Amino acid sequence: MPATFHDELRRIVGPAHVLTGIECGPYVIEGRTPEAVVAPGSKEDVAAVLVAAGEASVPVTPWGGGTTMAVGSPPSRLGLVLLLGRLNRLVEHEPGDLTATVEGGMTVQALQEALGRRGQWLSLDPPHAAKATIGGTLSANVAGPRRHLYGGCRDLLIGLTVVTADGAIVKGGGKVVKNVAGYDLPKLFIGAFGTLGVIVEATLKLRPRPDADRVVVARFERLKDAGVAARTVMASDLLPSALDLIDGEAVRALGLGGADGAALLVGVDGMADQVDWQCREIERLLEPVGLREARVLDGAERDRLWHARGTVGREAFAETAATMRWVLLPSQVADCMEQGAAVAQRAGLRAATAAHAGVGIVEAALGGGEHADLERVAAVLSEWRALVRGAGGHAVIQWAPLAVKERVPVWDEAGPALRIMERIKAQLDPRGVLNPGRAAGGI
Amino acid sequence: MSSLDPGRKAGLRRELEGLLGKGAVLSDPEELLVYESDGLTLFQALADFVVFPTSVEQVSAVVRLANRESLPFVARGAGTGLSGGCLPAEGGLVISLMRMNRVLEVDYENQLAVVEPGLVNLHLSWAVGPKGFYYAPDPSSQQACTIGGNIANNSGGPHTLKYGVTVNHVLGLEVVLPDGEIIWLGGRTRESQGYDLTGLFVGSEGTFGIATKIIVRILRRPQAVKTVLAVFDAVEAASESVSAVIGRGLVPAAMEMIDQLTIQAVEDAFGCGYPRDAAAALLIELDGLREGMEAQAERVMAACRENGAREVRAARDETERQLLWKGRKSAFGAYGRISPAYMVMDGVIPRTRLPEVLRRVNEIVGAHELRVGNVFHAGDGNLHPNILYDPRRPGEVARVVTAGGEILKVCADVGGSISGEHGIGLEKMDYMPLIFTEADLHAMRGVRDAWNPRGLCNPGKIFPSRKACGEASIAYRPHPIEAQGLAQRF
Repeated sequence: MPATFHDELRRIVGPAHVLTGIECGPYVIEGRTPEAVVAPGSKEDVAAVLVAAGEASVPVTPWGGGTTMAVGSPPSRLGLVLLLGRLNRLVEHEPGDLTATVEGGMTVQALQEALGRRGQWLSLDPPHAAKATIGGTLSANVAGPRRHLYGGCRDLLIGLTVVTADGAIVKGGGKVVKNVAGYDLPKLFIGAFGTLGVIVEATLKLRPRPDADRVVVARFERLKDAGVAARTVMASDLLPSALDLIDGEAVRALGLGGADGAALLVGVDGMADQVDWQCREIERLLEPVGLREARVLDGAERDRLWHARGTVGREAFAETAATMRWVLLPSQVADCMEQGAAVAQRAGLRAATAAHAGVGIVEAALGGGEHADLERVAAVLSEWRALVRGAGGHAVIQWAPLAVKERVPVWDEAGPALRIMERIKAQLDPRGVLNPGRAAGGI
Repeated sequence: MSSLDPGRKAGLRRELEGLLGKGAVLSDPEELLVYESDGLTLFQALADFVVFPTSVEQVSAVVRLANRESLPFVARGAGTGLSGGCLPAEGGLVISLMRMNRVLEVDYENQLAVVEPGLVNLHLSWAVGPKGFYYAPDPSSQQACTIGGNIANNSGGPHTLKYGVTVNHVLGLEVVLPDGEIIWLGGRTRESQGYDLTGLFVGSEGTFGIATKIIVRILRRPQAVKTVLAVFDAVEAASESVSAVIGRGLVPAAMEMIDQLTIQAVEDAFGCGYPRDAAAALLIELDGLREGMEAQAERVMAACRENGAREVRAARDETERQLLWKGRKSAFGAYGRISPAYMVMDGVIPRTRLPEVLRRVNEIVGAHELRVGNVFHAGDGNLHPNILYDPRRPGEVARVVTAGGEILKVCADVGGSISGEHGIGLEKMDYMPLIFTEADLHAMRGVRDAWNPRGLCNPGKIFPSRKACGEASIAYRPHPIEAQGLAQRF
């Protein structure tokens, strides 16, 4: 990285917003230290930084709250880390329109607090909300338990402004909830891990805050029973906002009890009398399928549980060896969780799994202390992937030491659609400046 | 505008018949005429061939043939689109998907269905209805339009307020790419790896390829439905009630507005129970749990009353509910009785800007000495001003087009969009710069070129034309089947 490039960065964003050398320590990714870190204060400055980086042939890694930096393949070269934290304003919130426009670097929690003061919320509940930014949440396509009823990023994002690799400020979608003018470019940047452009502004659909919001913690002897319970709820008239299936190890990690049995966390929100009715109805429906105990949590207890649920993957064990995300059909979730645990056990390790059962997404964590050597961890992850693929899904490593990632591919096979993805990447970032090698298919 | 000499055309016809069978290829001008327009008859364009494949392999074979011959091609469903999107703007082949209309599989446990693109939207809800399920996106043309056409246009409908548009219900697509390759985008699971190509494909107006299998979510029918009619003496009061309902923390399934001209046309035609002297009416539907439904309806009715509704009532039974919806859904047919022709407009605004924008729409149309009826998705801010006109009066069509452009400009100026559900197609390509910069359009062109590098797949659409107005005729003439009294637009 030429010294003149550092000078150019300082000229664009001001010397206080460029970090070099030892100051880059907090932004190490997979053991690699960036050559520089820059924090622009406006989308125009983001554009100028990308132009300068392009001219100097320095790859750029956008960085929001840093909560998903471990996801994906390690960067082939860590050049410039582009911090979005200064782009943290709520640009526009018109409650009557149920929409908000927000800068990419605003944290989810700060946004929720601002919206909450006016009786609304963004129905996305990603983990680490205090750190996770809107841009990062979209880029990594993160959601939480409430995706069950309210949908994920692609259902809530209606407009996006990105800066592309050539420094162009490009907008797609708009500020209205219904819009079919032109291509739906915002969809392209969801889950793209910053490989197509830097998200500087997003417009999102909002919801009114519910009058009541609770979670029913339903305990079962066996995971199998809890799985049947999840399917019973799905096939009923109930409209829960969350339906999370939790195995024994994850129950223990959540502080809900010992590592035997399993739990179903059923979120219900809305008008108070409806919430009351749903809580009663859940117990009535689950009684015949082996419900052992049901507790209804509200207020701080509820918040604590959902918070812990968000981070249960990495924090499942004192020394979690790796975490993986399985995407499955809802009907396969409980079976795969059971079989996955058996795979880990055969290798002398332990698994903790927690699922958004109705959406079909499982977080699987692997632990096992001194038995968790590289080879065993890699072997279990590979077996898990085969298991998930066999059930018609796919599996992605969420977090693992670099040495494990070198043995097991982070991403599942991309398939023939990769050809189109590569061509889109070539159109929007022809020199491959943005986060090269990070996303699925090595894009 | 056929560019093929007779010898080449005869040879290609034989070859297409070899691929698809006799009876699956049209090439006579009289037969092609039926396919020269969609629901927007302002535009016409003749294809060289219209073909009717019955399998993905046949679609792929036709697309490969088109590539070999460098002929443009465009997919067509029921032809109910309202922007000229499925017209063969540059000649070539129209690939009709109407013979690929099966429900291939329904997985009730995972709440999804695998269907072919020519399946009529409503037929999917019929197919899964007996088990208590339905397909949520419900465009007004749902009795005729196809799921494939809905994919192309990312179609909406009244109930999108709560349930979202087509893209929110599509999980996976089998697609014939513009070079003829068959690939899957997405699948049965809620997520796939890499870029969301499924999401991007939906709403691409047939320029990224042709969907040949579609995996959609189906929903359980709600326990309870409640429909409320609120009647107003002023349009402003109705508009403000829309925001008031939202402001009370309610998200109705649908919130539709119908203005006086439309009410009168509907009452003359069908007698659905709307008061003829009302300035506007709101049709508000709530659905969900039975428990608490009455309380929610009370909240809605209170919000309307406090904002000046002179009458608010809930439909007492299913018959009354259906009658109220009939008034809404038959509005287009009713216009046909009071005007020889009408132009269906489509624009979106932030819903809080409804009062001023509706006022501006009326001013614009009045200034052009035309009449307008408004029936639209008020909860989404998705306007449908329908400009009534008589094509036999000289100059009137041109005034309609001018007024339409001015209305779109108003939508853009208040931060809205130039289309909420009908698409850009041929109709609105030259209005794209109202809401997109050259940089925005450049990125979109780049994405199109990634899918469709040769530009043979539905060319001449979406992007502003270099040649103003192109070769598409702007003069209205009735569609042949319309002239014969066989069909009407809706």
